[in-house]
Amino acid sequence: MSAGILAIEARGLRKVFGSGETAVRALDGIDFEVTEGEMVAVMGPSGSGKSTLLHLLGALETPTEGVVAIAGKRFDGLSDRHLTLLRRDRIGFVFQFFNLLPALSAEENVVLPALIAGRRDKEVRERARGLLARVGLEARASHLPKELSGGEQQRVSIARALLLEPELILADEPTGNLDSRSSAEVLDLLGSLSGEEGHSIVIVTHDPGAAARAKRIVFLRDGKLAGEVEGGSTQRVIDRFAELEG
Amino acid sequence: MRSFGALAWRQITARPVRAFLTAAGIVLGVAMIFAVLTLSATVQNTFDDLFASVYGRTDLIVAGEDQTSLGPAISDRVAAVDGVAAAEQRLLGIFVLVGPDGRASEDPGSTLNIAGEDPRVDDLTDSRIVSGRRVRNGNEVNLQDSWADSQGIELGDRVRFATPAGVKALRVVGLFEFSTGLEFGGQGFGLIPLRRARSLLDRPRGSDEIAVAVDPDADPEAVARQLRRALPSAVKVQTPAAQSEDVQAQLQGFDTVIFFFAAMALFVGGFLIYNSFNMTVLQRTREIGMLRTVGARRGAIVALVEREALILGTVGSLFGLGLGLGLTHLLVELLRASDLPVGKLDFTPTAPIAAVVTGVGTAAFGALIPALRASRVPPIQAVLGTEGLRGRPRPLRGLIGVTLIAAGAAGAYNLGAADQVSNAEIAGGMAGTLGVFLGIALVAPFLIGPMVRVLSAPARWLLPAEGRLAADAARSDAIRTAATATGLLIGLALVVAIQTLGSSFLRSIEDELDRTFARDLTVQPRGFSPGAGPQQSISHRVSAALARIDEAKVVAPQRMLFVEELPEPPPPDQRSGSKTSGVLFAFDPDVFDQVDQTTIEDATREQAFAGLKKGGVTIGRGLADEYGIGVGDTLLLDGPAGKRRAPIVGIVRTVFAGGQTVGMSLATIERIYGVTADSLIAIKARSEQDRAALRSKVDRLLANRFPNLEALSNEEVKADAEDQFQQVFGFFGAIVAVAVIASLFGIINTLSMSVFERTREIGVLRALGATRRQIRRTIAIESLMIGLIGALLGIGVGAAIGWALLKGLAAGVPGVTYTAPISTIVGVVIAGIVLGLLASILPARRAARQDVIDALGYE
Ligand SMILES: Nc1ncnc2c1ncn2[C@@H]1O[C@H](COP(=O)(O)OP(=O)(O)O)[C@@H](O)[C@H]1O
Ligand SMILES: [Mg+2]
Repeated sequence: MSAGILAIEARGLRKVFGSGETAVRALDGIDFEVTEGEMVAVMGPSGSGKSTLLHLLGALETPTEGVVAIAGKRFDGLSDRHLTLLRRDRIGFVFQFFNLLPALSAEENVVLPALIAGRRDKEVRERARGLLARVGLEARASHLPKELSGGEQQRVSIARALLLEPELILADEPTGNLDSRSSAEVLDLLGSLSGEEGHSIVIVTHDPGAAARAKRIVFLRDGKLAGEVEGGSTQRVIDRFAELEG
Repeated sequence: MRSFGALAWRQITARPVRAFLTAAGIVLGVAMIFAVLTLSATVQNTFDDLFASVYGRTDLIVAGEDQTSLGPAISDRVAAVDGVAAAEQRLLGIFVLVGPDGRASEDPGSTLNIAGEDPRVDDLTDSRIVSGRRVRNGNEVNLQDSWADSQGIELGDRVRFATPAGVKALRVVGLFEFSTGLEFGGQGFGLIPLRRARSLLDRPRGSDEIAVAVDPDADPEAVARQLRRALPSAVKVQTPAAQSEDVQAQLQGFDTVIFFFAAMALFVGGFLIYNSFNMTVLQRTREIGMLRTVGARRGAIVALVEREALILGTVGSLFGLGLGLGLTHLLVELLRASDLPVGKLDFTPTAPIAAVVTGVGTAAFGALIPALRASRVPPIQAVLGTEGLRGRPRPLRGLIGVTLIAAGAAGAYNLGAADQVSNAEIAGGMAGTLGVFLGIALVAPFLIGPMVRVLSAPARWLLPAEGRLAADAARSDAIRTAATATGLLIGLALVVAIQTLGSSFLRSIEDELDRTFARDLTVQPRGFSPGAGPQQSISHRVSAALARIDEAKVVAPQRMLFVEELPEPPPPDQRSGSKTSGVLFAFDPDVFDQVDQTTIEDATREQAFAGLKKGGVTIGRGLADEYGIGVGDTLLLDGPAGKRRAPIVGIVRTVFAGGQTVGMSLATIERIYGVTADSLIAIKARSEQDRAALRSKVDRLLANRFPNLEALSNEEVKADAEDQFQQVFGFFGAIVAVAVIASLFGIINTLSMSVFERTREIGVLRALGATRRQIRRTIAIESLMIGLIGALLGIGVGAAIGWALLKGLAAGVPGVTYTAPISTIVGVVIAGIVLGLLASILPARRAARQDVIDALGYE
């Protein structure tokens, strides 16, 4: 386990959907943490609980049991409203389907979280433009999502996730809908965000190559932790994955 | 599911709330149509019963036009005609029950339609004495048994009535019943001896009508021809059936108007169907594409959508009938409150059948374009989904829209400009109004973008995220937003158009009252409303009694008669050929100038009043323009009591009756039209200081002796006029309100679908940290903007239609100027806001409650 200040920490997470006969244990007792500036990949077969874990970390859902804390602040006991504000101010989401608002231009989509927070100062707009430049899309600021390629849309949504300087970025299969070239661009971007710029990132992926860019890769199976490897080598990830599958 | 067609039923039951919202307009529209048809059949039936009752054994009616009276010689001449077996002179009037407190009751049910008949002549009505006997003489009265019952009056009672000649106690010597069981909106019928009627109704000579029975072996038509030959030309000889048709023809205009408003409610209903199906078809693109992929042909898709519309239309119509029953009772109450006698509700099979057929037809028609659109979905769309289908308004659409609006406005102008409103012109005006609405529906999508930008500015400033998102949502499908707003616009525009006419006329009338009323008080029967059915008249005794008050300097009686045919220039100069309705207005030329300062043109006041005294007439500017005549020309006064050429001695500038007025002296109206009783009395105080004393003395006199009369100050006269306008417009307003309510469901439906379509967007916003409240506000702002757009466009369109109607009207009525109905406009804006917010409650709640993870919808 790596040292350093924890960006997010989860202990004893359990999530059960439904009850009785039909109850599904999506997560079954998981400890998980991310240190500041770390990029962690989560892998596992379909239905192993990856998305559920991300939802719990992102305060989109509350665990049946266990605690989540972001920079020491525990989620439990917070009202829906406070969870919403926490999400807004401290967590950035990147979705598989980009989920940009179709009526807004790229730049406006990036500014959206600030608008939601009731901020519309010049600073925010400058920051949005800076972020678009950062993701290589300054020339496309005024384009609508439908005028952008999948990879470009995903880069916009990464810029959006960064706008309010969240402590943690959660990305659920961000390349799941992209061709390999766009995937590489998006992954490079995420990699450099964590490596050089110190963002904490959790990324769920099926792609060993993508996972290998993370510092650590955590494996899930049937809602339980099934192992962990260090990033860096795609082959190591593939081997370990095969081991777990088999 | 047993067949492909059953899919339609599944689609409906899968989304019951949407089905309800979609069909709500049909429910309300059908309810309205049913209510109006039933009401119109009931009113017709009431009058059928009336004529069957009052003229049960009458073969021919000899009478003057409108409320003119026959001269004294007529009855002898009628009796002398071969084949006339019996001729019964009648005087007609209205008594009002006086309560124990000595006041005349204002309940419409306390009105007694009284006939004075000669006890020696056979009764020619259809009544049968059920207890007691027929009146003979003196202060005796026969009453309709059912009415006496409802008023708690029994045989032998002495009952106090307010008569035109004051309060009189009459002994009930007999009770009768009509074989039709006539119910006349709670009003009763009564009979008094002719001689008593002469004094109580102040009709010393002549009669109001003569009921004629012909010999059993004579041909009524032949007798009618002989009578016509023997009597002056202004005396009408008609069978009761023909007279009944005349009365009903007069009611037809009213029927047409309320039917139009009801049709508007259904029109809105059709709009909701159209809008809802358009959205549904778009949402189901993938599904329809799939059906096409597996081999459903275009026709099958059209049939599927239409089948769904037909089911909704049928079920909605049936619910509409249920609601219609309730609405009918409501409208009956409103009509009775405005003194229109409405009898037993008459439920004919035609009303429900017609209402359901139009309801189902409207639903089918509303869904037609969406159905055709659905059938054009290519199979590939099964894969592509709604990608690229959301249409943008095309320029051709705008062009057609503008053309329709222009043509429609012309139709409205034409209706207003018509001298005599014929059915063709009414139809034209209504088609025009409809055209304007359709045109607006086509043009509106082009206006949505700019309007949303302007209207959302405050919201975007106050709540940047919510304002922005709401504006985008409203703008993203301009066609849909426009269609929703148009649904609302229709009802609101009608309100504004009606009120534009109302406020313009009211304002002009009030201005004229301000300018011309030199009197201090006006004495009139309670509930007096010029032109509305038989009014109680005022005996000359009242003016005599008023003249004895010291503080009264001038007591000037006036007589008013609304006639279907105003006098025309004499032949061979007869210009119009068509009937011109208007008002005959009579006063005493010696004193009238002191109570009334109406502008007289083309002659000095002295000349005009001197001329009137000598039997001349003044005419309104409107009539002068229409006939193209002026001072120096003559009019042929041709009444049931006499006939004379009268020189025109002045032109009067007035907006009353649209300037279709003929003024004359009291003596002239009596000699020509047989009118001997007064309609109003104007009083002027000796001095300003005497006004208060005059008022209290007049009030006391009326309370003691003539409780059915009231005295109004000039301000009160104006308020009274306003009340009467509001009563009429209130009735129309109640009908139009149904269209507005229907459109409320339309907004809810659109918003719900919009929320549904944006489920994922809402999920994203929530994930990004938008609170539930922010989501609710976003939907509320979107709804508010739709409401405001509907209100603003409604005001624009309504004001334009009102303006066109008024310009048309004003062309024939100099002096009527456009007055914007400010309070209505403010009210409509508020209504738009309130309706918008109201409509957003449920959809907004639903959007806010959505589970974030579900909404994000991992596919
Ligand atoms: N809202 C839910 N209701 C019921 N079961 C759910 C729900 N969400 C997820 N699950 C179940 O929980 C398990 C884990 O799901 P998920 O976290 O989405 O897996 P992954 O993202 O790894 O594919 C699965 O068996 C899934 O069916
Ligand atoms: Mg998943």
